[in-house]
Amino acid sequence: MTSNHHLSDEAFTALAHGDGDPGVIRELREAQYSKHLMLIRIVAQAAAEADQASKAVAAFQAGYELLAAVQAADPDSLTWLVGLPHIGAWGHDCLTRLDQGLAPDLGYLADAAASAAVRAGVGFDLDLPVRDGRVLFPGLGYFHGVDADSWIRATSDGKRLSLGAFAEAPCADICPDDGAGRVIPHWTGSPLIRAVTDGQVWEVLLETADPHLDRYTLPMVGELDEAGLAAWREQIQRAWTLLVRHHGWASGPMAAGTCVIVPMAARAEDDLDSATSPIAFGAIATCLPPDPVTTAETLVHEFQHLKLGALLDLVRMVEPSEELLYAPWRPDPRPPAGLLQGVYAHLGVARFWEAQRHVEAEPDDVFLAHLRYERWRPTIELCASTLMGTESLTPEGARFVAVLCDRGRSLAPSTASTEARDIAEELTLDHWLTWQLRHTVADASQVAELAAAYRRGEPRGHRSLPEVRLKKDTREVGSTVRSRLLNLRYLEPQGRVGPLPAGLPGVTAADVLLLDRRAEAAVAAYRDEISAAADPTPAPWIGLALAVRKLGSSPVQEALATRMPVIFDLHAHLSNLGVDSDPLAIADWCA
Amino acid sequence: MTSKKQGHESAIPDLRKVPLDRLTELGGSALAESIMLYRRRMNENSLPLNSFNSRI
Repeated sequence: MTSNHHLSDEAFTALAHGDGDPGVIRELREAQYSKHLMLIRIVAQAAAEADQASKAVAAFQAGYELLAAVQAADPDSLTWLVGLPHIGAWGHDCLTRLDQGLAPDLGYLADAAASAAVRAGVGFDLDLPVRDGRVLFPGLGYFHGVDADSWIRATSDGKRLSLGAFAEAPCADICPDDGAGRVIPHWTGSPLIRAVTDGQVWEVLLETADPHLDRYTLPMVGELDEAGLAAWREQIQRAWTLLVRHHGWASGPMAAGTCVIVPMAARAEDDLDSATSPIAFGAIATCLPPDPVTTAETLVHEFQHLKLGALLDLVRMVEPSEELLYAPWRPDPRPPAGLLQGVYAHLGVARFWEAQRHVEAEPDDVFLAHLRYERWRPTIELCASTLMGTESLTPEGARFVAVLCDRGRSLAPSTASTEARDIAEELTLDHWLTWQLRHTVADASQVAELAAAYRRGEPRGHRSLPEVRLKKDTREVGSTVRSRLLNLRYLEPQGRVGPLPAGLPGVTAADVLLLDRRAEAAVAAYRDEISAAADPTPAPWIGLALAVRKLGSSPVQEALATRMPVIFDLHAHLSNLGVDSDPLAIADWCA
Repeated sequence: MTSKKQGHESAIPDLRKVPLDRLTELGGSALAESIMLYRRRMNENSLPLNSFNSRI
């Protein structure tokens, strides 16, 4: 008879605050261990019902028996193996394939068992799958150049390992590559980074081979050359130093809960994607960040996701929902569960910049830290409030989000300069208006009624504005390049961005004026662009709102910032009727 | 299920002390129910991925 995992209320509340000390993280990890065993149990059931003559089934059974032997001889080695994110990802993939009526990757369990046995010094004799000339030892590394069709016999007396006649090595050398320079023929140890600062240690593997962890937004980096590996080692070490010395609330828990980094291949030099999955607790996927501060921020951000994913395995906080909501960090509308993940991650990000503002010394870096803090700080309360307004939260979820909201509210007030605050507000507005024009529409019949009143020259008076509803990807918004350039100013502030080159694709004359901060001229140019457009075009409308904002507070500025979808649809409706109307006049009428 | 004193009881069975060679015997028990609940949750939640592009 087994009991279920239990999370104390103190741990729950600490996590809701965005915290959770290493003890809390250990509780989450222990539950993940049980979850992974549950997955192994499901796959074992499937294997028992599969064709027993199959080599994959035989490998699974042999692997399972070997794991039981490892557990008896050295329970810690089983705990290590089963707790790896590799096992969670593999188990999930098996479930998915079983649900689709496909054969799961049964042979992988033999690989995993061999890893644990090598580590524990337990002997074995079983077949391992060969994939693309490689034999995987999850969590340790892989043999490469294996000249075998699909399976190879692996034997070990607990001290030495043989792979058929292909390779032989001491078990103690079948281990990750910690940079000590040990060379074992045909063996590639997973790079192990041992970051040490002020006596605090974080050991993390760089995983570049396991197919079940090649599952994120960008492909896993297949192999790291010497220079690539050195860059990762340096970034991780320097980020760890920063986290230990200035973000202690994050460093200890992160080290306790993150054992794998999956390097992802960036699409472009300045691209930085990062990702996690709740099915692979302990793994953070990311492109190589450009500097230690960004690396540290990325680790904090992604570890928040890992914590929440593991918590959601224990406590149901969000009901499935068709509802879609605005998230200030994403281009697409998000379901409540996605928004909860995002706001939790950004609480970590805001806390990071809250402290980092006081760590930076160079004026540009101080400016950037303040700007980033101002960019993300207000989003916590905003998004937590949005979540509380949905009906998707369970009672536990409502309590969690209420604590989260309070934590967002208690972040230190901004002390950003006027310029930093201005850029942060501009980026926030650009994102919000882009999202609105991309994903929302005003009620057409109400827009028609308004248009009729406008044409008759009547004041809007007490007429209410049309309802706006979400309609995903309803319009294409061609302002990506301008937004990227605005972001560039955010990422490279204080004049490091020179004058814009002429004729930049995707940038209009009005955009150049806006980016050059010539607001009045930009307003006039955007009005001309809107009037000259053959079809309703969102991009200049967003530019107009951004340019008007620079001229200071006014009813028109307020209307463009808060009623854009209605104003846009009203103008489009009038244009369709052949009525040539001034964008600012319509905005003023709607104010 | 939740109170300040009791904390939060999950649907994941605590398998830390279960010998692996006994795990398959737990098929008809609370484990099976937990597995069913877990699979239902996985089906309810679509792509289990949190991704972020810092340049957006």
